[in-house]
Amino acid sequence: MADKKKPKRTKEDKDEDLPFKSILESDEAILKLLKSYISSSLTAAGSSGASSSSSSKPLTLADLSLSSSCREVADLSLSSVQTEIETVIVQIARSILAGDGFSFSVPSRAASNQLYVPELDRIVLKDKSTLRPFASVSSVRKTTITTRILALIHQLCLRNIHVTKRDLFYTDVKLFQDQTQSDAVLDDVSCMLGCTRSSLNVIAAEKGVVVGRLIFSDNGDMIDCTKMGMGGKAIPPNIDRVGDMQSDAMFILLVEKDAAYIRLAEDRFYNRFPCIIVTAKGQPDVATRLFLRKMKMELKLPVLALVDSDPYGLKILSVYGCGSKNMSYDSANLTTPDIKWLGIRPSDLDKYKIPEQCRLPMTEQDIKTGKDMLEEDFVKKNPGWVEELNLMVKTKQKAEIQALSSFGFQYLSEVYLPLKLQQQDWL
Amino acid sequence: MAGGDSPAETKKGSSKTSKNSKDSSKESTLKQKSPAEFFAENKNIAGFDNPGKSLYTTVRELVENALDSSESISELPEVEVTIEEIGKSKFNSMIGLIDRERVDTKLYDDYETDKAREKRLVKEARASEIQAKNLASGKKNKEPGVSKVLKARGEASYYKVTCKDNGKGMPHDDIPNMFGRVLSGTKYGLKQTRGKFGLGAKMALIWSKMSTGLPIEISSSMKSQNYVTFCRLDIDIHRNIPHIHLHEKKANKEKWHGAEIQVVIEGNWTTYRSKILHYMRQMAVITPYAQFLFRFISETPEKNVTVKFTRRTDVMPPIPIETKHHPSSVDLLLIKRLVTDTSKKTLLQFLQNEFVNINKNLAARLIGEMGPDFSPGMAVKSVTSQQMVRIHQLFRQAKFDDPSGDCLSPAGEYNLRLGIIKELHPDMVATHSGSVDFFLESMFSAQVFEGHPFIVEAGVSVGGRDVKQASHILLLFIHGINIFRFANRIPLLFEQGGDVVTRTALKRINWNSYKINQTQDKIGVFVSIVSTKIPFKGTGKEYIGDDISEIATAVKSAIQQCCIQLKSKIVKRLQAREQQERKRSLSRYIPDATGAVYEVLKQMTEEHTKKRKRYKEEETAMLEKVSKLIITKETLKEKLAEHVEQVDYEMALEYATQSGVSEEPRENIYLQQLNPNHSNFIDLHSPTFVFRLIL
Repeated sequence: MADKKKPKRTKEDKDEDLPFKSILESDEAILKLLKSYISSSLTAAGSSGASSSSSSKPLTLADLSLSSSCREVADLSLSSVQTEIETVIVQIARSILAGDGFSFSVPSRAASNQLYVPELDRIVLKDKSTLRPFASVSSVRKTTITTRILALIHQLCLRNIHVTKRDLFYTDVKLFQDQTQSDAVLDDVSCMLGCTRSSLNVIAAEKGVVVGRLIFSDNGDMIDCTKMGMGGKAIPPNIDRVGDMQSDAMFILLVEKDAAYIRLAEDRFYNRFPCIIVTAKGQPDVATRLFLRKMKMELKLPVLALVDSDPYGLKILSVYGCGSKNMSYDSANLTTPDIKWLGIRPSDLDKYKIPEQCRLPMTEQDIKTGKDMLEEDFVKKNPGWVEELNLMVKTKQKAEIQALSSFGFQYLSEVYLPLKLQQQDWL
Repeated sequence: MAGGDSPAETKKGSSKTSKNSKDSSKESTLKQKSPAEFFAENKNIAGFDNPGKSLYTTVRELVENALDSSESISELPEVEVTIEEIGKSKFNSMIGLIDRERVDTKLYDDYETDKAREKRLVKEARASEIQAKNLASGKKNKEPGVSKVLKARGEASYYKVTCKDNGKGMPHDDIPNMFGRVLSGTKYGLKQTRGKFGLGAKMALIWSKMSTGLPIEISSSMKSQNYVTFCRLDIDIHRNIPHIHLHEKKANKEKWHGAEIQVVIEGNWTTYRSKILHYMRQMAVITPYAQFLFRFISETPEKNVTVKFTRRTDVMPPIPIETKHHPSSVDLLLIKRLVTDTSKKTLLQFLQNEFVNINKNLAARLIGEMGPDFSPGMAVKSVTSQQMVRIHQLFRQAKFDDPSGDCLSPAGEYNLRLGIIKELHPDMVATHSGSVDFFLESMFSAQVFEGHPFIVEAGVSVGGRDVKQASHILLLFIHGINIFRFANRIPLLFEQGGDVVTRTALKRINWNSYKINQTQDKIGVFVSIVSTKIPFKGTGKEYIGDDISEIATAVKSAIQQCCIQLKSKIVKRLQAREQQERKRSLSRYIPDATGAVYEVLKQMTEEHTKKRKRYKEEETAMLEKVSKLIITKETLKEKLAEHVEQVDYEMALEYATQSGVSEEPRENIYLQQLNPNHSNFIDLHSPTFVFRLIL
């Protein structure tokens, strides 16, 4: 179908004279280029993988001899979560009965307790904890909420059911007051118990969507993501029920925003260039990050990211890549290594002659964020990124993916992406 | 522009004016406008936009004149303002017009057709129905809409405004010219002044002439005089000369000195009532050493308003000193005028004596820089216009020391603080002065903008009650930020939005960082700026632009200084509150926490008894206690409560030892002076004090 339309469309396009359309080669040629790239990168990965697998499997924290000890969590079975909670509660009860009140020792998730480990290419949590005593005005609320959440999760363990974060919040609205408070404590609890958030049986509402050349099973049902209509398949919140991934895609395209995702899905971009398209509609949630990692690990495909050309785009990229500070305790499971920055990069603005009126001046806050990002280790490790970010801060201009629409709504899928693929222009 | 240019012209031409106007009356082709005419036609620039604003401006001009007059003889000001409503018939009788009933009702704009009356009656019926319903349901009713009768077009309200002070008074012979000639004032030196145009009562006189045609009445007496001058006059607008009705001397029985001015004008009390009252109150804030009595006398007695703003201090700021111009602030016209007016002979003397910050040495260097055409000894009167341009250019480019702020008279931190406390009763207040205060030594001196020194003083208050008066409610503080602006010690009430103070307080201060809640706390921001030239914006001179970075920075830092002072107070207060409420806020969470713990224990006990799960030994011991009801929710609660009690006790002890006995800084109180006429005291004597009962 796509092939049928194509010749007609190119004729029209010639009339419109889309910029850079002329240097675009035929799809077949691009595909050929891509194939050769992937096979070369695969063999490279294979060889390095072979060498590393001989010494050890993928690098973990334990393999590194870091100066400061770090905290990491693991997937725990329900019963062990239950036991952990019970141990904590009995301790508390004993302490109360002895007349000593009680307190929790909660790992600190503050920025000062985070560490970027270049060998792992992700953020990990150091071992500093803070004491949360009940008998203190500043911490009594959080301590009580923590106790309550522990009791609620204990119930979930007994009954073996999943609830959403929203459900959890509604069990005691009066105490929790607003959902951010119960959500924050939930992360504290999983960190404290040393398990992932998914092992607490608490899930977040679906946010991410996937479309394209992917077939997987969700709770036993086979899902074909090419046949999910335009919107694609919502990424299931409990990733432990996802399995049997198959794909003939050549790459995974990670999109920051819903609008660009819809454009690509509607144009069936994945049929022209076999790929899987994923978006979390902004800041990624846990499920999307887990899903992306699973795809990357099982299908061994390169991940190309299409984000806005502003500091937040890069930040989102970094959350996929090296993890968020808020959930660094679980970064081992949540991060996807080796994501390539495809666009929109600050250098693209001039390269693709994006008109002045589609670029936005950066606010002072933007520039500050940009400068702060330049200090971040995950940016520093990639000289190409540093260069791009420097350019952004220098020109003080940003642009959203939608800026490309100034050449027509379909410029993104018709010209920009194919050209990027042809030139293998990613960092 | 008129305000800037005309003084120079009039000063020169004041003697010629009458001659000029005589000529112009003959030549109808080339008509020359007298200054009075100019202001009559452009009355909006002097604040006489509409009847309501005119009433407001009349009051403020009279009040400001009164304050200036009292301060000029270092007398603590006592100002009495009375606004008397004059009904139509009374007004007509005043001007000798007989009341006339409407005969042809359809002639008038407000004639009500039958249809319209029907409509209105239906509407009124409905309104009264709703009102009755509300009354029945116990709801509070707002002003019933029915009573609001729209004023017919053309039916103006008239007011007699009287302002009496205890000031200097005016010399008998000068009075007609002081009122009857526009731009003949004494305020044209470079000096910090209250008046904005130097129009004062004259503009009110022009307005009364335009709206009522009634003359102004002036009573005045000076300290040395044993008589009171009474003068009734109006103004010949076209010729800009006074037209005297009566000018006589009366006996001064009360040894009063000062001035009393009475003028009848068209106005609108209903719409400008709150502005006028706000003005009076804010004036009382910035002038706490003055006593104000404000009265509004209505035709309907229940609408009468009497507000007395009592004196809280007898410390007056020094009188602003007239100063010479700073070379960087003068323009070409001013140089010309100075050259014409100077008594000095040579250029060197002229530069040295007519400007600040130019000494002999610098004057000589400046003349050298001007070029070969100039020499120190050349006669200053021989300087040509071209040469003046050269002088002007050099003044602009050369570097001069900043003018000192000694010529300014700020309100003073002490007075500002007193004023705020006296009139607004806030919970907390902090003040900051950028000047060398006469009470508190500060490291800041005046700052400079375009050759004019300025001083910024600020006060920030938190909390406070709404000020209620018997017959009116003045809501001075709403939740959020309330801004009070003062320029040269007079309040600015209009065009708040663009003002530098408003912008700074709303946009550039991070209130949160001072523990002040921008939306929930009642915050008062008071900023007083004094300068030899306030850089007003807009035609009405009602606000100071936000584009002058020197002033914006000074305002910001002054407010911040106040906030820093407040923060420590607020933090202390929060700590104290935390002390009081610690036990309560901790105890509140006991049931939730123990409930959750007990819940898990109960579940575990169940699992244990049903042998679904094996537990460790010490755990089973506890679980058995739970099943035997030795450990219950209540025991957990009790034990936790005990712990909270103990912690609370320990922390209270710690707080007490740490903070010790620290008191708030003491504040001077002001005791009103007793009237010496009182003699009926009863004194109760004791060895250490005297207790006096005042009857």
